[in-house]
Amino acid sequence: MARVIDLHLHSEASDDSRAPVEAYLKWLARKRDERPLDGIVLTEHRQFDTWSDYRALEDKYGLLILKASEVETEYGHVLVYGVNDAMLRRFDFSNVRLRAQELIDEVARLGGVAMPCHPGRPTIGLIEHYENRPPLEGVVGVEALNGGSKKGENERVAALIDTYGYHAFGGSDAHLVSFVGICATEFEKDITNTGELVEALRTGGYRPVDFRVRRAPVQPAAGGA
Amino acid sequence: MALEFDRSILGQVFDETDFPPVEKADLLQFADALGETNPLYTDETVAANGPYGGLVAAPTYVTRLRPKKMTPEHMPRFGKVGFDGGRDVEIFAPVRPGDRLKMVSTIHDIYEKTGRSGSMYFIVLRNEITNQDGQQVAIVDHRIMQR
Amino acid sequence: MKTLYFEEVEEGDELPPIDLLLTKAFVRTYARTAGMDFPRFTDDEGARQEGLPGMIAPGVLSMGLLARLIGEWNQAAQITRIGTTFRSPVLPDCAIHLLGFVTQKDAEQHTAECDIWMENDDGERWVIGTASVRLPTQDS
Repeated sequence: MARVIDLHLHSEASDDSRAPVEAYLKWLARKRDERPLDGIVLTEHRQFDTWSDYRALEDKYGLLILKASEVETEYGHVLVYGVNDAMLRRFDFSNVRLRAQELIDEVARLGGVAMPCHPGRPTIGLIEHYENRPPLEGVVGVEALNGGSKKGENERVAALIDTYGYHAFGGSDAHLVSFVGICATEFEKDITNTGELVEALRTGGYRPVDFRVRRAPVQPAAGGA
Repeated sequence: MALEFDRSILGQVFDETDFPPVEKADLLQFADALGETNPLYTDETVAANGPYGGLVAAPTYVTRLRPKKMTPEHMPRFGKVGFDGGRDVEIFAPVRPGDRLKMVSTIHDIYEKTGRSGSMYFIVLRNEITNQDGQQVAIVDHRIMQR
Repeated sequence: MKTLYFEEVEEGDELPPIDLLLTKAFVRTYARTAGMDFPRFTDDEGARQEGLPGMIAPGVLSMGLLARLIGEWNQAAQITRIGTTFRSPVLPDCAIHLLGFVTQKDAEQHTAECDIWMENDDGERWVIGTASVRLPTQDS
């Protein structure tokens, strides 16, 4: 049973992360007061992990562990929840030029949901592409809060949500162990498996939650060292 | 969908460089340029009683070693400009004054992804460094981003 | 300078931060010392001709500073691997903050894994990475 879930993070299965899944879980256990998470969704880059079985780790740490993917399209990066064999046969997830509209339509038809992430980011976010191309049909929600964003990138998303009525969710986009859960999503209903996650993401009843703790500003002395 | 290029270039040695003996002054200067305060890299006397029994180079000194040919002659070009995407350094043995280092360079990997600045191609150059005793010193993987 | 033994290091430990004003002079000195005396690392005008907003710090300088973070936390930590991703150009003169945590310990190998990163005043992480270190033990 989970209500607060980090919907976007990368483990060592992604080419640009070295974080083992268990290290993430241990970090969450340690940071429970600061980041009260009930679960995580592993969203590896350009692939879907069909082989790992996390049931033992779920029991050991009392956290829900689900699997999804982050793929690349001409409208930017998209998180795909509810990945199944039919989707993997339909799309080559390693293709960095997937067609966003086709992906959204087909993922929905095949029982999942495809949701654009970090929409405020240059080139790989939705907003920039909406300036030059027609908006996508069938988008239900976007990642309004991403833990890896630069200044301004999350802030740009509010207007997109207002205009198109998208649901908003959050994720850490962690590539390092210590960033797991800094941003997450709070659901109104309990999620216990991928099917319920997909259903909830489609229908709404969730919001991004921000657990980032800003360090007090430090003014370094002049000089390089 | 795999990126298309001649995969036979992977692993082929494109450069072998023998460096002149490492000078103590060079190690000290390098540490100083980083603002290093660790006496193992900055203070010969303290370092003599330390775990290495003498002054050694700051850990990233091996990244300053540059092959004669920076890139292979037949390196695929996927973009107009190249940037440093990152480094991965494995360190097996310290660099000491007087070491005669040798570096062998290969193209280790090539892949594509999309990022803040558009389509990006990564070429990973691998530099394997050994010393005069044939001992492995470090492997430096250099991820060059082209776009 | 401090020596920490394996037994004294815990998962979750924060590496004492280094806060620096990264000056152009410092970057130039590094570039020249490291044999990287190229316009993009030494000269604003030259860098602009290469399409950059101004001179940038070499990625390996950021990496060197992150290695220094490890050494200042624990002078006895022997770095056996360090990997960094350069996510954004680092433009001096700017305040930078070098931060890190011990994330994993291996009791058999007497090693530890650390997260290390460089961020600016806005918390934007310009360089992220990890390092593996070997630590001395109290009974050795």
